[in-house]
Amino acid sequence: MSTLRIWLVQALVIFLTAESIAQLLDPCGYIYPESPVIQRGSNFTAVCVLKEECLERYHVNATYIVWKTNHVAVPKEQYTIINRTTSSVTFTNMASLSVQLTCNILTYGQLEQNVYGINILSGFPPDEPKNLSCIVNEGKKMMCQWDPGRETYLETNFTLKSEWATEKFDDCVTKRGTPTLCLVNYPPVYFVNIEVWVEAANALGKVTSEHINFDPVDRVKPNPPRNLTVNTSEEMSTILKLTWINPSIKNVIRLKYNIQYRTKDASTWSQVPPEDTVATRSSFTIQDLKPFTEYVFRIRCMKEDNKGFWSDWSEEAHGITYEDRPSKAPSFWYKINPSHIQEYRSVQLIWKTLPASEANGKILDYEVIVTQWKSFSQNYTVNDTELIVNLTHNRYVITLTARNLVGKSDAAVIIIPGQHFKASHPVVDLKAFPKDNMLWVEWTAPHKYVRKYILEWCVLSDKLPCIPDWQQEHGSVHQTYLRGNLVASKCYLITVTPVYSIGPGSPESVKAYLKQAAPSKGPIVRTKKVGKNEAVLEWDRLPVDVQNGFIRNYSIFYRTIVGNETVVNVDSSHTEYTLSSLSSDTLYMVRMAAYTDEGGKDGPEFTFTTPKFAQGEIEAIVVPVCLAFLLTTLLGVLFCFNKRDLIKKHIWPNVPDPSKSHIAQWSPHTPPRHNFNSKDQIYSDGNFTDVSVVEIEANDKKPCPDDLKSLELFKKEKISTEGHSSGIGGSSCMSSSRPSISSSDENESAQNTASTVQYSTVVHSGYRHQVPSVQVFSRSESTQPLLDSEERPDDLQLVDNVDISGDILPRQQYFKQNCSQSETSPDISHFERSDQISSGNEEDFVRLKQQQVSDHISQSCGAEQMKMFQEVSATGAFGPVTEGQVEQFEPVGMEAAIDEGIPKSYLPQTVRQGGYMPQ
Amino acid sequence: MKVLAAGVVPLLLVLHWKHGAASPLPITPVNATCATRHPCHGNLMNQIKNQLAQLNGSANALFISYYTAQGEPFPNNLDKLCGPNMTDFPPFHANGTEKAKLVELYRLVAYLGASLGNVTRDQKILNPNALSLHSKLNATTDTMRGLLSNVLCRLCNKYHVGHVDVTYGPDTAGKDAFQKKKLGCQLLGTYKQVISLVAQAF
Repeated sequence: MSTLRIWLVQALVIFLTAESIAQLLDPCGYIYPESPVIQRGSNFTAVCVLKEECLERYHVNATYIVWKTNHVAVPKEQYTIINRTTSSVTFTNMASLSVQLTCNILTYGQLEQNVYGINILSGFPPDEPKNLSCIVNEGKKMMCQWDPGRETYLETNFTLKSEWATEKFDDCVTKRGTPTLCLVNYPPVYFVNIEVWVEAANALGKVTSEHINFDPVDRVKPNPPRNLTVNTSEEMSTILKLTWINPSIKNVIRLKYNIQYRTKDASTWSQVPPEDTVATRSSFTIQDLKPFTEYVFRIRCMKEDNKGFWSDWSEEAHGITYEDRPSKAPSFWYKINPSHIQEYRSVQLIWKTLPASEANGKILDYEVIVTQWKSFSQNYTVNDTELIVNLTHNRYVITLTARNLVGKSDAAVIIIPGQHFKASHPVVDLKAFPKDNMLWVEWTAPHKYVRKYILEWCVLSDKLPCIPDWQQEHGSVHQTYLRGNLVASKCYLITVTPVYSIGPGSPESVKAYLKQAAPSKGPIVRTKKVGKNEAVLEWDRLPVDVQNGFIRNYSIFYRTIVGNETVVNVDSSHTEYTLSSLSSDTLYMVRMAAYTDEGGKDGPEFTFTTPKFAQGEIEAIVVPVCLAFLLTTLLGVLFCFNKRDLIKKHIWPNVPDPSKSHIAQWSPHTPPRHNFNSKDQIYSDGNFTDVSVVEIEANDKKPCPDDLKSLELFKKEKISTEGHSSGIGGSSCMSSSRPSISSSDENESAQNTASTVQYSTVVHSGYRHQVPSVQVFSRSESTQPLLDSEERPDDLQLVDNVDISGDILPRQQYFKQNCSQSETSPDISHFERSDQISSGNEEDFVRLKQQQVSDHISQSCGAEQMKMFQEVSATGAFGPVTEGQVEQFEPVGMEAAIDEGIPKSYLPQTVRQGGYMPQ
Repeated sequence: MKVLAAGVVPLLLVLHWKHGAASPLPITPVNATCATRHPCHGNLMNQIKNQLAQLNGSANALFISYYTAQGEPFPNNLDKLCGPNMTDFPPFHANGTEKAKLVELYRLVAYLGASLGNVTRDQKILNPNALSLHSKLNATTDTMRGLLSNVLCRLCNKYHVGHVDVTYGPDTAGKDAFQKKKLGCQLLGTYKQVISLVAQAF
């Protein structure tokens, strides 16, 4: 009872709960249609109908309805209020795949409350399936596939339908992952036509494909033949027999076959002519195979009438044909190695192993027969591919045969000519070029029958020796490729030698690359010579190992630090190049690139600086300047030389030798104390041209007290040192003279004397060994500086010697008396003046001397000086001088001590030989 | 059997291709309804020949496979146990007209089909591991279905025969295993002989 009560309570609770949930879940309205699926691009209208109780509960009507799609309000323009409870919304051209549409109402306080919601799906109806085709794999069920057409964006079911004329089969529904094919669930029944089609259906429609009607046996793909085996025939080396087991389908249909075969190493298949295998069979004999060659076979089958599909290929089967005698003679050649024995040649016979296609079996050995002309033969059996024999210098014929289990090959013959044989007739137009990743060699045959050609090649390298490889070609071949392991970027030296019946012809060589590449290294450029505006660049040719191809050209890139790069292309035959138009005193960076057909490679950069001056530019400036200077100097010297007398008068006036003055002559007993130096030679008797003139400042009022003082001092000094000098003579004025004495002592003495020198000589004895009647003191009033003759008694002796020899010329002496204070400018003026004077005529000169005498008499220069002038005047008076005598004496020099406005006086002094001027 | 239920003609066959059905049906009158799902193919006779050849080609293997699968004493007592001595086997006259031969072929194939159905059912029970035999039995049965469709199509299209009365062999459902094996072996032995004659007749 209690149990029943509990049950009732539980049932009541469940009922009430369900009722309340139902009330809670009861929507306020509905949207129609509830699950719409529409075609994309079409229009769609939804209607929301509110319940009456909701209208009353929320105090709303249809105008309060708000439509939303994917939580976004739909524009009011799309709304239509149908009645108090119903509102519709219309969408045009629906493009979205899936849209969530909700119907909402605005309750009190503008609160939005959801009423109902639906999902709108859009897509396309299915297209008609196209290209329906079926295949029946033998032993399996039929499978059909088709092209479904465009994407529908909707769940679309494809159903494969099939039927006989008398019955229908179960539908084949595609699986979700493979909607375009279907495997039927019934076994294929052959020889009964079946009709098949595809039905595609989704929410927007259903469409069926075109029906196809066929016999399944015409869609069969048989299983491949199995247990394919190859049987060798020992009777024939060119056939192999294949056997196999046909697939089970051969009990139903007739089969045809494809049989393919290839050699083991080949990649392409050969096929037995299809017409030979059009009937069902289980064996076939393949013919025309190569002896001793391993072949690979495979087979497939299909329905005889070509309806259906080829089976897959069977598993491959291998078989080797039986051996046959070698079909060709081996390639045969020789090399003559240097031999130490004069009588023999070491000949290395070399040959190539026959390729398998020509050996036709395993080569057991080679037989070499060496036959000397008209002599015996010698046989060798060799397992290797070379044989070295010593041959004389005669002609030999050597044959080679290869032997296998079945027999011998044809003989290969080479003729080794005698030592004096000269090869000729080379091939012409030899060319080598890469093609199809092989290095081809082409040539034109010489105009002579060629038995064969020998092609030799090796890699040219700077480091490795040339190790040649070789091959032989038939005499009719003019083009072939090198059958060696050639590598790219290597330079091959290829030599072609024609072989004639009498021996080998002259070889011809050519270089070639299998494949060129850019050089590994670039050329290293350097400067050979750098000029102001040009630079000579030089470089070495790239080694063969790094060329990687034929160097076609070089490019020189040069630039300054800030300038653009300039490129110059240079032919590959050059190894130097001159860059011109460069800027002086500029740093240049230059590099070179070498180019092959496949690219280039830059070398290292080299920098150089152009000099500021071109070579020789400085010399071009300096040398002309120096030359001009030298020329000027030379001209100056020449000028001076030509005008030396004139110049000498200006800068080195002749100084009269006091010792040769008249006073000295007047004192013939004065012992010779001085020797004339070389300068005195100038005043040798024969050279005395100038007239000795003593220029006296007649109008100089200054008494020259300083000079007088100096004169006094000099007098004292003279007395103390020589003793022979006396103070009788002396000049009241300071005499000046040029320092014409080279010796410093002499200079010094000259300077000393230049200050105040008292020219006076005490004559102790007669002049020139003449005994004067009366020993007198002759006093010179000259103010000339002391000459060397006074300091050097030797000079006087020289004079004496001259006198002794009898070449007695009247010595000319002149005094110069200068009262000027200055030693320089007055001298110059005096020189000019005297020069002018010297150019005057003789009459003027005489008249001037007379005037000077008269003027000097009145000059108050001191008593002694006055006296001397008187004496001179007396001399002029008592010693009548003829005009001719005057002419004998050239003026030695003149000193003009002239102040402006001061008249000059000249005192000509002439000395008659052996005579004395009267005192 | 579900497949065969589709269509009018198959419906007739279904009614009489039950295991154990025994009463033969008379030939349908010429004016009987003769409708097919789609037009029959024009190469029906060639297909029938190929089907007969196919059946003939596989009959012996089926027979061998059957008695081998049954084990002793069948392989060594084929004459006694598997001899073609079935009395109710539909007759076939190779020298008749094409229409007559087709009608007799129809009855023969209907009979064999039904009997092979019984044998197949029994062998799946008696020799569940004899998969090769099962496969052969199924393949033969399927081929006979196709042959029957072609023959009926030919009769219907050319001779407008929409219905043929057929007979069936004894139902083996209530027999013991050996009897089932023996009846099956006798059926296949007879089939091997008859199908050879029929194949040659077309």
